[in-house]
Amino acid sequence: MTPLLELRGLEVGFRNRHGELARAVDGVDLTVDHGEVLALVGESGCGKTTLARTIVGLERPDAGEVRFEGEPIGRSARALRAYRRRVQMVFQDPSGALNPRQTIYEAVAEGVRIQGAEGSEEQLVAEALRRAGLRPPERFYPLYPYEVSGGQRQRVVIAGAMVVKPSLLVADEPVSSLDASVRGEILHLMLRLVHETGVSILVVTHDLGLAWNIADRVAVMYLGRIVEQGTTEELLGAPRHPYTAALLSVVPEAARLEPQILTGETPDPARIPAGCRFHPRCPLYASGEAARLGIDERCRTVDPALAPVRDSGQRAACHATAVTAAVAG
Amino acid sequence: MTPLLSVRDLHVTYAGGVPAVRGVSLDLEAGETLGLAGESGSGKTTLGHALLRLLPRGTAVTGEVLLDGEDVLAMKPGRLRAVRWTDLAIVFQGALHSLNPVQRIGAQIGEAIELHEPRLGRGEVRGRVAELLDLVGIPDRRAEDYPHQLSGGQRQRVLIALALACKPRLLIADEPTTALDVMVQAQVLRLLDQLQRELGLAVLFITHDLSTLASVCRRLAVMYAGRIVEEGPSHDVFAAPAHPYTQALAAAFPVIGDPAFRMNPSGLPGDPPDPRDLPGGCPFHPRCPKALAECPTLDVELWPAGPDRLAACCLVLPGVRSA
Repeated sequence: MTPLLELRGLEVGFRNRHGELARAVDGVDLTVDHGEVLALVGESGCGKTTLARTIVGLERPDAGEVRFEGEPIGRSARALRAYRRRVQMVFQDPSGALNPRQTIYEAVAEGVRIQGAEGSEEQLVAEALRRAGLRPPERFYPLYPYEVSGGQRQRVVIAGAMVVKPSLLVADEPVSSLDASVRGEILHLMLRLVHETGVSILVVTHDLGLAWNIADRVAVMYLGRIVEQGTTEELLGAPRHPYTAALLSVVPEAARLEPQILTGETPDPARIPAGCRFHPRCPLYASGEAARLGIDERCRTVDPALAPVRDSGQRAACHATAVTAAVAG
Repeated sequence: MTPLLSVRDLHVTYAGGVPAVRGVSLDLEAGETLGLAGESGSGKTTLGHALLRLLPRGTAVTGEVLLDGEDVLAMKPGRLRAVRWTDLAIVFQGALHSLNPVQRIGAQIGEAIELHEPRLGRGEVRGRVAELLDLVGIPDRRAEDYPHQLSGGQRQRVLIALALACKPRLLIADEPTTALDVMVQAQVLRLLDQLQRELGLAVLFITHDLSTLASVCRRLAVMYAGRIVEEGPSHDVFAAPAHPYTQALAAAFPVIGDPAFRMNPSGLPGDPPDPRDLPGGCPFHPRCPKALAECPTLDVELWPAGPDRLAACCLVLPGVRSA
């Protein structure tokens, strides 16, 4: 079956202030299926937000393509408009995403007016608010964003995205600015929307716990590239890329693991290391394990492709995994 | 033995009558770590600032903050200045913006040392700066850098170095890792843990992230609506919370690999209460999944809830629990 969304060899770069090309997204292949929740996980600077913005048409790829329902997305204004009605974005900070001088009714109705959904505007707004858990909807119509709580604001943002009945929601850190006790309720809402409307969700996050909570599949991004992907159970149960293993080991909730604290921070995307982009921080490389396996030369010189891992449905971009099919967690 | 820090019935009310802290008592021994967890508006940051008297003018503060038995709240300005940084230091929340952007980081740390030890020579100060940077894992050549030349994690390390400049015995760390990536967060937490052991520091760790606190602190106190609602050894509190609020908060941090959390995010209906408009009785009752008929009127104080544990919930009261 054709996936809902398919990225092929996607590349997006920016010039930094020194005029160097920063390869924020550096060759990404990824699919999102109908009714699926995919978590795109990575640290800041890994390119996950740029990837999300490119998917919704806010950035133009330098190479590769975004295909939606089997067709490349058009570049004409008309084609983009039709596409944006199908693909809606939910931003990180609900306070910044809402116009403070617009009532909640206006905020949600705006999508209907711009995108031109079918049906009576008031009914659509009421349904979207009700679905987002803001009941009774009429009570929220005249309120301004500052008059509701942070959790309710994020519900308004989600209602505004869902009002045009999209096929895909791209949510960039949808709960990271919310209090812990409120976070679960919003995640719960996202799962319910998938069940009730069949919408697919690409959720961009740094939070592996969130992935465990709601995602069917996880893709891990490092320096512009997907380094591992698989079903949530497989990937978080038995990570096959040393970067995933390290990320998982420092999550306090996964405290059973010996923490592998990587040194340094994500390198500059304008200076992507040669060979495997992760090798300068890789615990397998640093510990001499790569040398023992006789692959250290390859780690330094050959850029590993995202390849299927033996005996699992996962894919990982790691020379060591290709040899051993396992990474010690 | 007198604890290093002993807070007795602290109340903080902001100008305009907003009660942010409503009767908090806690003790911290020398070299001990205490985690203070709470959501926005719970009063945890206000409490941290009150200990150093950093609150805005017009804020009413009552109770006692005893540092080695001496009340910080009653100190004269000169004495307070001496105590700040040398006994009691703070790493602020949003720290990434609290460094001076136009001063080299070495000079910023040096300034703090000179202020408290004016007799030190230039070379000695420079030596101390290098030592401090080394302590937090930053090469001392970076002393010549400006804050913008450092990454987020490095700036956080500089702020920790700054807080340690005058060898305090108690460090208040207010959300020291919130804006950082998971890996960098792990680096900073390991650093704080190592410093705490090596220097015998007492640390009051303030954050909304209960799971982090459980992994780095020996004891844990949970705040809700300006009060401590549960306190005890952190492992016990996180693994078997007594207060329904702590139970909900702990459930909000999923255990990866645990089927109970798979496709099952857990939260609480409603939002943290507005300090300007607190519900009557137990302030948690409108959101409490286990509220009893008396909860809207009965305001419960901290009550023994097992060995070395306290909880402010009528469910832990004898008689109610068995019912």
